Amino acid sequence: MSSSQGWQVDLLEVAQKCVYCGYCSLCPTFKELKWENYHPRGILDQIKLYYSERIKDNLKNDVSKSLFDAIFACTMCKACENICIVDLPLLKVWEQVRQESFKRGRWNSKLLSLYNKVKSSHNIYGLPAEERVTWAALSNMVMTRRIQRKAPLAYFIGCQASYSGKMEGVAESVVKILRKSKENFTILGTEEWCCGSPIFLAGGYSVGKSFAKHNLEQFKKLGVKRVVTACAGCYRAFKVVYPRILGEKWDIEVLHITELVNELLAEGKIQLKKKFKEKVTFKDPCELVRHCGLIEAPRDVIKQIPGIRYEELPSNREDALCCGGGGLLKLNDDNLVSQVNSRLITDIQYSEADIVLNGCPTCLDTIRSNLRKQNLNVEAIDISEFIKRAMELK
Amino acid sequence: MALKKKARSRFIRYLGKQFRDDSTILQLYSRDMAELPSLTKILYKNIPDAVILPRNTEDIQKIYQIANENNVSITPRSGGTAGFGGAITYKKGIVVDCKGIESELYIDPLEQTVTASPSIIFSDLQRQLKQQGFSLCAFPSSYYSATIGGWIAHGGFGVGSSQYGGALDQIVNLEVVLPNGELKIYDKSEDLALFVGSHGTLGILTKISLKIKFDIPLKQWGCTFDSPRELEDGLAELSKINPYSIWFFNPSHISKFNDTFGYSLPYRYVVIISKEISFEEEESEFYTMFNQAIRKAGGQILDKRYITNIWDHRFKTFSMLKEYDDFLVSELILPIKTSNKYLQKLNVKYKNGIHFEGELISDTHYSLLLFLPLDEKISSIKRTFLYLRLFKYTIKGIKFGGYPYSTGMFFAGYYSKIYGKEQYHKYKEFKKQVDSKNISNPGKVISPRLNLFPLISMKAAIKILSRLIP
Ligand SMILES: Cc1cc2nc3c(=O)[nH]c(=O)nc-3n(C[C@H](O)[C@H](O)[C@H](O)COP(=O)(O)OP(=O)(O)OC[C@H]3O[C@@H](n4cnc5c(N)ncnc54)[C@H](O)[C@@H]3O)c2cc1C
Ligand code: SF4
Ligand code: SF4
Repeated sequence: MSSSQGWQVDLLEVAQKCVYCGYCSLCPTFKELKWENYHPRGILDQIKLYYSERIKDNLKNDVSKSLFDAIFACTMCKACENICIVDLPLLKVWEQVRQESFKRGRWNSKLLSLYNKVKSSHNIYGLPAEERVTWAALSNMVMTRRIQRKAPLAYFIGCQASYSGKMEGVAESVVKILRKSKENFTILGTEEWCCGSPIFLAGGYSVGKSFAKHNLEQFKKLGVKRVVTACAGCYRAFKVVYPRILGEKWDIEVLHITELVNELLAEGKIQLKKKFKEKVTFKDPCELVRHCGLIEAPRDVIKQIPGIRYEELPSNREDALCCGGGGLLKLNDDNLVSQVNSRLITDIQYSEADIVLNGCPTCLDTIRSNLRKQNLNVEAIDISEFIKRAMELK
Repeated sequence: MALKKKARSRFIRYLGKQFRDDSTILQLYSRDMAELPSLTKILYKNIPDAVILPRNTEDIQKIYQIANENNVSITPRSGGTAGFGGAITYKKGIVVDCKGIESELYIDPLEQTVTASPSIIFSDLQRQLKQQGFSLCAFPSSYYSATIGGWIAHGGFGVGSSQYGGALDQIVNLEVVLPNGELKIYDKSEDLALFVGSHGTLGILTKISLKIKFDIPLKQWGCTFDSPRELEDGLAELSKINPYSIWFFNPSHISKFNDTFGYSLPYRYVVIISKEISFEEEESEFYTMFNQAIRKAGGQILDKRYITNIWDHRFKTFSMLKEYDDFLVSELILPIKTSNKYLQKLNVKYKNGIHFEGELISDTHYSLLLFLPLDEKISSIKRTFLYLRLFKYTIKGIKFGGYPYSTGMFFAGYYSKIYGKEQYHKYKEFKKQVDSKNISNPGKVISPRLNLFPLISMKAAIKILSRLIP
């Protein structure tokens, strides 16, 4: 499993450039685990040891164990890279170390099982492709005329909104928004393959590339010029990873649902009418805000809702706290996810919001489960569902 | 010498997974911010026997108890961001990583104090204070990584020190586990002074109350000076108008600052003043004073456009280091009055190739951070040579009324130069009372004897070696 050429970094060179300022101690998982081997600068020090020519065998074994353990305790939230005082490309480093761990056969069984599932069934659940559109039947919607039809815009639903009961309502909401706006759009149906995000996060670029190629082929076949998604992971894959691995062939414009909704509002194709009593806040998903720089679009939409009471979380925009669920951490340490998430829940409580909006299925899932655990009366929903409500769509 | 079996099993029995001695962890805890040339490592044993991450005060008491019974050295560590070797073991033993010490944060708005865990990082604490309309008074520029405990133990200064003083001036009270295991709370200035700059040699800080202030917006002004002489006059005049911070650079540093942050500051000695401004009249009044001070010192005021958003980079000047393959740093404190001669000497010796950045820490003194950037990776021998040379010029500051910034391990033996003979005497007395076996961070503050040549102190050895360097 080799990584795509061209954007690989020299791990040792990057590690040696670290000035040990410690600014990356804001790392959400290090904040919980506290041992230096989980500190991003500590991971770099372990890389130095791992690649050191003078290292003795027993230390090398110990280092690799510790390094591969630490690298999967990372949520890939990119907070470290954002703050790094000397601009080190830390996310690339983390991805490459994950690849190295695969090469050395050090992935845990859950990770391998996910990897194999995605590889063979093209979705993260290992379910049949035919079930990709079951959500429509469950929401009493007829999608047959939308599947695989020629259109300039494609709605890429993503594995979680397609298959998971937890994400029920997301696909339905996006489709209702698009229908109301009378946009000519298509969905890929059974030909939609996972965007590859979990594979990329695990460091699997050559397999991931086949997913990217397949999805691009489908878009091309249908004459798609723009793709919209409500999933932060798919958005990042299309926006950051596909251009890296497909190069200029990837010429599709990528939109988050909030970017498209802003356009539709400006063109007068949809209206946000409903008045909400509840106070709302928005949790910036790491993959939108730090990986892709998508900051204002969700806020612009929310602010167009008449009389809305909106409160930022204390840590917002580029400084947003991580939900703990990213980077496949759930497969490695569910407790840690919950610990990281509890800091976010404190922020949510501080905002005194009744509804916390979000744009990432992983965040939503982790936030909801911790709100439930703590018995808090705060609703967590995807922003597309909130937009649907604001449009008063049934 | 590795930890004896009995001691190891006692630690493990009490601390379980909070005790680690796998080889990777030992390597990771063998350094702090300054990664020293490997050749210097013959002077000390920086790879510990074990690392402990205590959860609370009781753990620390127990650690000291077991350490005393088994003669094991304890070296506290927090953010690991200080570069004086204070958090590195001198003769192995156990590193106690204080980041696990948790304590509830309590803000007292009436008394204007905050009580927190020593392991809280400044930016996290400031964030919580700002939510309530308060702010820390002074804090280090390692704002995003240093802990309040580490800063106090290392005896730091920082942004705001020109108005609010250094670490000691921030403290209301300290809870400490002494090396004899006793838990004590100190609030008298003379007691608190013992724990500031003593690098955990008198115990581990476990809870800290600091003074806070209202969060008043800061405004910046800039000015330039042509020479170290003018800079000296300028700093003396500016210190009289009581700004919140006075931050300055030499011309070589300015050129990198410009490249890194996209400014076009003139290649002179540039000084940035920051002042708390609550209302408009205060601003114009301050500006008049600033203007007069600069005229008197023969400096030039910088157009505001030159320094737009410059305060955003206040905690990021290390970014400039990305341009280089390697670098060495050192830091000292100088009196404003005689510093120009020192700066001139430095310029001559380093042919203007040394970068420096200063911050006023009182009406009379400033801290000076020296950066020696290196354009290529160099051999360990050359690195050692350059380090010793930098060390030599740091110590040279003493001739000009200055002193090293902190003792730690590398400047152990300079405590009385920093805090005065009387304070040194008090320190030694107290150390004898609470740590007769010298288990708490040995090799720091008081210069240790060399492991290889016990007749020679580390201070003397480094001094002699550095003198040999031209
Ligand atoms: C970018 C950057 C900027 C900096 N700017 C400044 C500045 O403006 N001012 C300044 O003073 N320093 C500055 N420093 C140096 C350093 O960050 C500070 O001294 C900092 O306060 C050290 O805190 P720490 O938590 O990292 O402590 P550490 O480095 O972990 O420890 C420092 C010393 O304190 C002892 N110690 C740590 N915790 C405890 C405890 N709980 N109880 C007892 N002893 C303890 C250690 O043994 C050690 O001797 C800077 C460093 C960097 C990287
Ligand atoms: S990406 Fe996030 S979780 Fe991973 S090391 Fe960086 S800060 Fe930590
Ligand atoms: S912020 Fe960057 S340079 Fe600083 S310690 Fe972390 S990785 Fe190293």
